[in-house]
This record gives sequence, C-alpha cells and structure tokens, in this order.
Amino acid sequence: MSHLPPAGTQDPIELEILRHEILSIPNQIERNIERTAFSPLVQEYKDYAVGLVDPEGALVAQSRGSLPIFVANALGTGVREALEIHGAEALRHGDAVLTNSAATLGQHLNNVVLSTPIREGGAADGALLGFFAVLVHWIDVGGSTPGSSTGTNTTDVWQEGLQLPSVRLLQGGRRNEDVFRLCAANSRFPRLLLGDLEAQLAGCLLGRDMVLEVAARRGVPLLRATVAAMRRQAEAAAATVIAAIPPGEYYAESVLDGEAGVTVPVGVAVRVRDGRLTVDLSGLGPQMAGPSNAGRNGGAVAAARIAAKYVLTPDEPVNQGDFDRLTVEAPDGTFLTARPDAPIGGSGNTIPTVVDTILRALGEALPDRAAAAHHGTYGVHTLFGRLANGELFANLDTATGGWGATAEEDGAFPLRSNAHGDVPDIPVEMQEALYPFLLLGKALRPDSGGPGRRRGGLGVEKTYRILAPCKVSLKFERAQCPPWGLQGGGAGQTCFVEIRRAGGEVLRRWKGTYALEPGDTLRVVSGGGGGYGPPWEREPERVLADIAAGYVTPGHAAEAYGVLLGPDGALDRAATERRRAELRATARHDDAKGGQAA
Amino acid sequence: MAYLVAADTGGTFTDIAVYDPASRRIRFGKTLTTYGNLVDGVAQGMAEAGAEPAETASLRHGTTHVINAFLQRRGARTALVATRGFRDVLEIGRGSRPLPFELGFRRDPPLVPRALRLEVAERIAADGSVLEPLDEDGLAALLPALRAAEVQAVAVSFLNAYANPVHEERAAALLRAALPGAYVTTGTALTREWFEYERSATAAANAYVGPAIASYAKGFAERLGAEGFAGGLAMMGSNGGVMPFAAAVERPVALVESGPIGGVIAAAEYARALGLPRVVAFDMGGTTAKCALVEEGGFAVQSTYWVGGYARGFPIRSPVLDIVEVGAGGGSIAWADAQGRLHVGPRSAGSEPGPVAFGRGGTEPTVTDANLVLGRIGGASFLGGRLTLDAAAAAAAIRDKVAIPLGYGEGAEATARVARGVLDLATTLMAGAVKEITVARGHDVRDFALMAFGGGGPIFGADLARELGIPLVIVPPQPGNFSAAGMLLAGARLDVARSLVADLSPSGMASLAAALEALEAEARAAAQREFGDVAARLSHQAEMRYRGQRHAVLVDFAGAPEATALCEAFERTYRARFGRSLGVDFAPEVVGLRVIAEGETARPDLAAISPAAPPGSSPCPIAHRPLHGPGGWTEAPVWRRESLPVGFALTGPAVIEEYGATTLLGPGDRAEIGALGEITIRVAA
Repeated sequence: MSHLPPAGTQDPIELEILRHEILSIPNQIERNIERTAFSPLVQEYKDYAVGLVDPEGALVAQSRGSLPIFVANALGTGVREALEIHGAEALRHGDAVLTNSAATLGQHLNNVVLSTPIREGGAADGALLGFFAVLVHWIDVGGSTPGSSTGTNTTDVWQEGLQLPSVRLLQGGRRNEDVFRLCAANSRFPRLLLGDLEAQLAGCLLGRDMVLEVAARRGVPLLRATVAAMRRQAEAAAATVIAAIPPGEYYAESVLDGEAGVTVPVGVAVRVRDGRLTVDLSGLGPQMAGPSNAGRNGGAVAAARIAAKYVLTPDEPVNQGDFDRLTVEAPDGTFLTARPDAPIGGSGNTIPTVVDTILRALGEALPDRAAAAHHGTYGVHTLFGRLANGELFANLDTATGGWGATAEEDGAFPLRSNAHGDVPDIPVEMQEALYPFLLLGKALRPDSGGPGRRRGGLGVEKTYRILAPCKVSLKFERAQCPPWGLQGGGAGQTCFVEIRRAGGEVLRRWKGTYALEPGDTLRVVSGGGGGYGPPWEREPERVLADIAAGYVTPGHAAEAYGVLLGPDGALDRAATERRRAELRATARHDDAKGGQAA
Repeated sequence: MAYLVAADTGGTFTDIAVYDPASRRIRFGKTLTTYGNLVDGVAQGMAEAGAEPAETASLRHGTTHVINAFLQRRGARTALVATRGFRDVLEIGRGSRPLPFELGFRRDPPLVPRALRLEVAERIAADGSVLEPLDEDGLAALLPALRAAEVQAVAVSFLNAYANPVHEERAAALLRAALPGAYVTTGTALTREWFEYERSATAAANAYVGPAIASYAKGFAERLGAEGFAGGLAMMGSNGGVMPFAAAVERPVALVESGPIGGVIAAAEYARALGLPRVVAFDMGGTTAKCALVEEGGFAVQSTYWVGGYARGFPIRSPVLDIVEVGAGGGSIAWADAQGRLHVGPRSAGSEPGPVAFGRGGTEPTVTDANLVLGRIGGASFLGGRLTLDAAAAAAAIRDKVAIPLGYGEGAEATARVARGVLDLATTLMAGAVKEITVARGHDVRDFALMAFGGGGPIFGADLARELGIPLVIVPPQPGNFSAAGMLLAGARLDVARSLVADLSPSGMASLAAALEALEAEARAAAQREFGDVAARLSHQAEMRYRGQRHAVLVDFAGAPEATALCEAFERTYRARFGRSLGVDFAPEVVGLRVIAEGETARPDLAAISPAAPPGSSPCPIAHRPLHGPGGWTEAPVWRRESLPVGFALTGPAVIEEYGATTLLGPGDRAEIGALGEITIRVAA
C-alpha cells in the first residue's frame, strides 16, 4: 500500500493516521464512562483519567478530560505495580487489576486505577501490546470520614480507607465477585460505588477491544512503530522548547500554610543544562503529621510534570515522551515524597502551590511565558451528614478562583487550580435538590484580583445556609502565601472560610472539620490571582471599566491603582496623576530599601 | 398553483428548493448569499428556480443568522435579571478548564456584561415552594438603570425556577409592561430543566438575538409580501421541526442549528422509505464534516448545545439535533508540522481563496486538491463545468508543501502517495467523528448504514464505510442540495419537556401521570397556536436512568405511564446502548418527560426527487480517466448519474458524476440504482 516511504523509516503518513486512531480511543471511552457512571463526582465533577499504556507502563495516550494531577502517569504507575506484583506472563487477556496502593501511586486512596492487558488477537497468551487503564475517584473507600480523602485529622494511611494492591477484579473474563463484595462492604456509598465501578470496568474492556480492533486492522508492527514514534515526537517537541531556555539554574520559593499554624517551605530549583530540565525539590519541607502529604509518584513527580507540561508542550496530548527529558530530584521524607505509611488524604492539596512555584522559577528563564500566581488551592470543602431519611450524604466541592495576569492579559476568572482540568462546579440547583442546605449567593469577589498593569483574576464568594445538622471538612491553602504578582504587580487577596453561628459567633478557618447546626451560615471565599506590572501603569480607562463592572471598587482603585474619580464619577485626571506619582515614589523608596512592590 | 419553497441560507450559497405539486417535480436554485440583505438572495434564488412569490403557498427558511450573531457577538444590548446573590452565575459558569495545560486559558466573555446583570430579591426552593416572594418594588427600582442603559432585551432567570416559574413569569410581565420596546424572555419559557448556569445562559442568549431575529423576520415577510407572497412563513428549528415565524421570534435559540438540520431530516425520510432502521447521516461540505444518527426514522436531539465549542463557549439548553462535527471538509488544508507529521485541517481555504485548483489565489493544498490529483473528481466537470480545475497547480502545491517537507521527494509517484495520505488522514478524522457519535453513545457502528451527502460526502462514503466496517452506503438523490430538499420534507414539530423525579412506585407513577396530562395539554395548546389547523400527533418519551446516574436515556412509551413497561423499556434501551443493564436493584427512575407534537404538512413524496433515467435506457460511460486507488493507478469509467435507470448495477472502480457531487466506487464496491433513484453501494471488504 505504501509506495515510497522515506528510506529507513516507517511511513510517516501511516504513523500519523494510526496516531489519530490511538488518540481518539481514550476520548470515546471517556464519554462512555461519563454517561454510565453513578456518582456526581464522575458524571459532573469528572474526576477520572482514561488512557493507553505501553507494555512497560509508559503512557501512550490519555483522554482529553483527564486531570493534570494524573499526568504523572498515575495510569502507568498503576500498571507498573501490576507488572511487578504479578509479572507480565500472569496478566492474561480477560484479567483486570485494581490498585490504589499508597506506596506506589502516592495519592489519596480514592484514586483507584483499573487496568487490563491488551494481548494480540485477544488470546490469553497473545503478545502483550499494552494495557488499557481507567482511573476513577471512588466516592468512598472507608476510613474515618465520609468521602475518605476528606478527613482532616488522620495520622496514618490506614485511617483513610481500604488499599487494593493490584487485586484482580476480573480473571480470564470471569468476574471475581468476592472483590466486588469487598469493595462494596468497605464503602459508605456501596450503590454509587458499584455503579461507578461497572462503568469503569466496561470502559476499560471496551477500550481494550478498540485497541485490539485497530491492531487487527492495521497490524501489530505498525501499532508498535506508531507507539514508539509518538514517544519520539513528544520528546522532540519538548526538546525544542528546552533548547530555547537559556541554560542555568533558576530558583523560586513560597510557603504552605502547614497544618498546625507553622508554615512549610517550598523551595524549588530548576536547572536547564545539556538539553535536559531538572526540577530539584530538595527545598520542600518535611513530611507533615496530618494528611497534607503525598508519595513520590503522586507528589513530587506529579508536580514537576504538571509544571513542565504547562511550559513545554501544552497543546500536545500527554505522552510519556513529554517527560523523557525531565529529571525530578527530591530526597525521601518531604511532604511530596512521604513514607508509605504517611496520611495522604489531602495528597493533591499542596500541588497547586508547588506547581505555581516551579512555574515561577521557569518564569525567570522564560519571562514572556510567565504568569503571576493563581489562587493556588484545591480548596476542598465537603459538607457531609445524614439526610432526613437517615441516608449518609457527602458533597465534595472545590474552589474556583482567580488566575494570574501575564504581560499581555488580565488574569482569568474564576477557574479551578492548575492541577485540575475540566472539573465543572456541581450546579447549585442540583446541590439544593439533594442536600439539606441553601446557597444564599455565589458571586465574584470585588478587589480580590491582585492590582497590576494587568489585573489578577477575581475570586468567588459562596454563602450557604445550613438547614440540618451536618459537618464541613476544609482543606484550603494559601492563607500565608498570597498569590504573588510579577514585575511590580500586587498579590491577589487570600482565601478563607467563615462559619457564622446562629448565635453570632464567627470562626475563620482554612483546615479542619467543624459541626454545623441549622441556622449557621458558611462563607467559602476563594482567592484572586496576582497582578503583572506596576498598578499605576494600568490604563485609567481599564480601571474605570473595572469600576463600572464592579470588579474593582472606587476605594481600591484609588488606593492600589491611584485612579481617582470626580464627584460626577468621571476620571479626575489631575488627582490621578498626583496619586500615581506618589505610588511610584513609594515603590522606588521601597525598592531602595530592598522591599518588594508585591 | 401552490409552490412549496425551501430556502437554505448558508455561508457561501443560498440554496433554494421548489416543489411544484402540479408536475410533482422539485427544482433547485443556487445563488450567492447576499450579506447586505439575506432575503435578496432568497428572492433571486426563487426567481432562478421559477417560483413566483404570488404563486407560493409556503416557504421554509433555514438560516445561520442566529449562530452567526452569537459567534460574531452581533446582538442586542442585553440585561439579565437574576435572583439576589446569583447575577454572576453567567460569568462564573462552571469554573472548569477544558484545555488543562493552557496557562492563559480563558472562556469567551458572557453575552451580558456585569454592569447589566441586575438582581432582585425572590427565592424558590428546590421543591418549588416559595421561600421569599418576588420583591416587585425592588424590580421596579431596577427600571431606571435599564432605561438609562437603553437595553434592547432583558433575560429573566431565577434560581430553582425550573421547579416553579411563577416568579420569572411575573417579573417578565412587569418588565414587558414597563419597557414596551424591549424584548423580554425567561429561562423557563425556553427550558424547564435544572442547572442554573445552563438555563441563565440560554435566557441570555435568547434575549441577545431576539430583537435581531424579530426585525429579520419582519423584513423578510415584508419584502416577500411586497412581491405578492401571501403564504405561510416558517423557519427550521434545530430539533428538526418547522416553526412559524412568530414562534421563531419568541425562541430564536431554537434556530441555532437551523442550517444543517435539513440534510438530516432528508436522511431520516430516506431511511424510513428504504426500511433502514439505523443510519449514520454523513454530510461533508467545504469546511467541516458532520454526522448524526438516524434510528427508526427519527434522530436524537441533545438538550445542551455549546455555542462556540465546549472549551470556551457557552451552553444553551434547547433541543438541538445531536450532531458531531469535525474540521475536515473539501477546503481543509493539508500541512506538515515541525515534527514531520502530516495534518489535515482544521484550517480551511473556504470558498475564498479556495483550493489551489480553483485558481483564485489559494496556495495551500486542500482535500479537494488531493481528490483532483488522484482523478477522483474531474477537472472539467466540477459544478457542472462552471469551474475548471487546475490539476497541475494542485499537484505542485502538494509536492512543495507536503511531500518534500515530509521527505517523500518530488516525483509524481511521491505526490500521488502523499495525496492519498491526505485523503486517508481526512477519512480517519471523519471516522473518529462517526465513532464519537456511535461508540461514545454506546452503539456499535457496524450495525448502521452510512448515508453520504453534501458536496464531499459521496466521494468519501465508500472509503469511510470500509474504514468503519459499515457494509452499506446510500448516496441519496441530490446530495449537493440535500439540505434544502430536507426542509421541504420536514413536518411541523414542537417539543415540551419537564424535569421531574419519579421512582417506579405507585405514587411515582401517579405523579408521572399527572405531569404527563399537563404536558399533553400544553403541547396541544402550543400546537394549536403554532401549527394552526394542522392536526397534531402526540408521542411521549421518558428520560430514565438508574438512581444516582446523571445521564439519562430516552425511552419511548405509549399511553399512560406504567411501571413494569417503563422498567422493561428502559432496561432494554440501556442494554442496547451500554452492553449490560443493572437490574431493579439499581432502582430505575424517571427524571424527565417529553411530549412531542408533530403535524403533517403538505410535502412532496420522495419520487419527485429521483434523478434516475427512464426504465429501459441503456447508459454508457461518458469517459474513462486515470483513477488512483489503493492499488495504484487504474483506468476507471465515468458515468453520469442521470443516465442510470432504476435497477442498473455496476462494480468499482468507477466514478458517478452529477451536478454538485461525485460518487466514487472503490475496487469491488458494487452499486445499484434503487427505486427512489438512490445509489446503494455494497462495500467491498
């Protein structure tokens, strides 16, 4: 069929055609799973990843909707564990293996990978072509708190739920009903879990069959050649970008709020040398006592890969080759390389801040691609308790907030963290129909965007009125580390959660689990993004437009931007120029003292 | 005389189809779309096709007006009135980042800027009870701001109004009275389904295009009226039904896919007439290819449509034909990237400058250029000879822009190889779209027949079917005018739907029965209003799922709702879609009811469109030309479609040409002309 492939290589057109077919399979499976799943976490919140992994556990293709936090190759890592435990020989056609091992995946136990070997011809011992794998956030795997990963007081991993170390769910095509029963018995929401598991399993097998169909039609040699070419091409594309970064070492640091009021350092070095990118995380603080830890794969490696992908080839589908020129250095025992027994329920919570910090270091090297910091937290807030009929409920929600400005554009808002992808808010109307609370408002938070020549994006404020006794568990970050600005831009306002008791008492909190009573209100307020460039350089017309929209109040405009309005609401040019001159002089003075405009 | 006319105003051409009941024939006209005043193009096209306005009984109009107004942000100055605390729902959206690694990701700005988003105190609970009455004084207090901003349209969307629209309706009535010139719309008048962002966005979108569509409809009617037209005017709804102008003006969001719907209606008619239970309707044009499923003669509608795409656009909740689109059309540009990979699209050369072969200044090779280089379309016979194509220029562009950069070299064989690669890749992309609408929705694509139309569909039909394992391809009559033809075939249709939750218990069934009765009454009243004296036929569908699932499947049912029958129908549908059903332990439930009212309108029968030659004629090829197939170059016969009588059969390789489309048969593909003039291709393995 191919007349004239260039000498010595596979025919690039055939490779490209097959590449498209391979890329499309996880996307089709993703849609199929979304339509058959049971829990709002899968259907609406889309907390999953779908992909094809090669026989050694390297990621070949992942679905569009798969979250950034899973690009560390949670799928491949799960497959590598199965290979290690069972050996490739023992993984036959018709087998399907579950894993969420803390020691391997290093993410909260709700993230369960199901993988199935793809063997040539669908024969039990056919040549191993790869694995089809689906990760789904299981709604509950036991542990101390409904929702499992939502607990805020755990001190070891066993308090966070059931572990399934490469356990066979399917063997030779037969369902291992014991395992289904075991999973159901260890979950507070067995019906939702089993429904999601059926969707996960059906998607996994259908994906496998689609790959087999492609292998049968196009031939195994071409399939293998395509998989190899995809990795080569991904590596080459990343190499091109790395080559454009001036060699050197770049540093950045920030802090996490920590768990007991003591902040935890986040020190990052990025080295660019010999066409390779090294992310050195030895400056991360030590493992924490509570659940804000992650294991190496789900922590350090995930954070470095997410940051690298943002900078290197953001428009290309994710492939192992993206990371072939990336080295991640981190000693054991940091909060992102925690020991296997460490509590990891909040494994993702620190990642947005670490990614922000790596991006800040890379921003020193590539200033035209740099963006100021984003709101920077998952901001998990889970309301849980019992419904009037006695059934348990848990409504896991996360924050959306402002993103950082760039040299060209104001920050976007409001969006989820940089470790989340296509994770939509669960509609207020759906929450009110299912759970015993009302939302009194969901609104943009004026003045929360960091001031700058380009303004940071705005945060969001949500207010709940509680109608029945329940609890809320909180995991917020970035109270002590406001989303920073760049090049003289100001920081965004920080997030907080406020509980206002019916009796009038007000608590402001970021982490922990709190009982709520009817009549209490809960305010969940997310942060804004950082600004870019000195605020007094922002065009007055843009500030006026922000005032008209209510993104910025007149008081904030005067204070931060030096834009003053006359009694008629129009720009007072003379007063504005005076005020801006003062701001400029103060900034110069601060600079002279070594202070930061931000 | 009483002509029936369909007018499909597209981006480049306005297509007209005229049915003359006296001769029982359909005539077609094609004019350039007139951007200053679209109705000029329609009037010209009618003149060209010989339809006197005064002699025309009815005109159906498909238009891209609404979608273009959204995409180009040319709409009214619109305000939104929301529940206190929720005016930012429109801007917050759902907070997700569908392009997960784009650091600068942004959504398109909302249609209503924040300064024009206003709030009023009122509150409905999720169960529909009133927690806080509508603050009418507070609403009145917003009027000065609305007047000062000179708003032309107001959308009203309140939280939980899906459960009880009383506040929305009252607020809208007060606003209409206070702002007589403004276009006022409510979210629940357009959709009674939950999800506040989607409903608010729908209300805002409807208001945004309302004033423009009202004046467009008025101008259209006046212009045709001045030429003596006194018939009925209707627009094509995205759900496949025709809507009288008055209804379209109330619900312009229902016109968002008014353009492409015609072809799918026609595909459904042919599927019914030919007894094909499952068909993929495949429409390939200049910039994109689209596909939709036709099952049991009907097509699926989806309830959420993303204007401007899912990644950055906004949703509207309105029944829209479930269609998947991919950026692969005749004008799609083939190019090589820095990694030495071949790409096709998504950029298109469009009609200006068009493919290199058009000789109008295009320099980048396209799918059409590749087709020409391989002999799949004729250089002299394109559009009936109205345009002569330059094969040498097309080949040179493929050589220079793709073959050499990819390392294939510069010989003619290399160019042919690469041209074939461009077509193979385009086929793969289109196959991906077909799989998305089948596999992702739980269907096995091999159970379907492929109906190929549009300017490019018939060239690719057999290759695409081979790629997908589909055994049968139908090329209907008039593939190049299929959309306009389909509009003539459309019946009147309206959908009324309601979200509600009912389990299969006796009390659940009782609440369903009550809701169904109310919906039927509503559908009858609406049909009376919209269809006039045409009798309406009602059918029901239940949206069902297992308790806890979010996505529901549509289940047809007749008569009163009955638990066992509903459960069986649901499990059967679910099994067919997703391989296995889960049983009653998983608690099937009903989450929505839909009543569809359809009215028969005067329309042509399909025989009127048959291009087949009279029986007994013995055709012969008009030419032979070199055709590049999978095995290399062969000499293939070229037939005129109009010369082929019913029952005539031929085996590929062969080319069948007609005005506006070319059908291609690969080696071993067997084609036969069917009773309605359709070409049926049995695809060789």
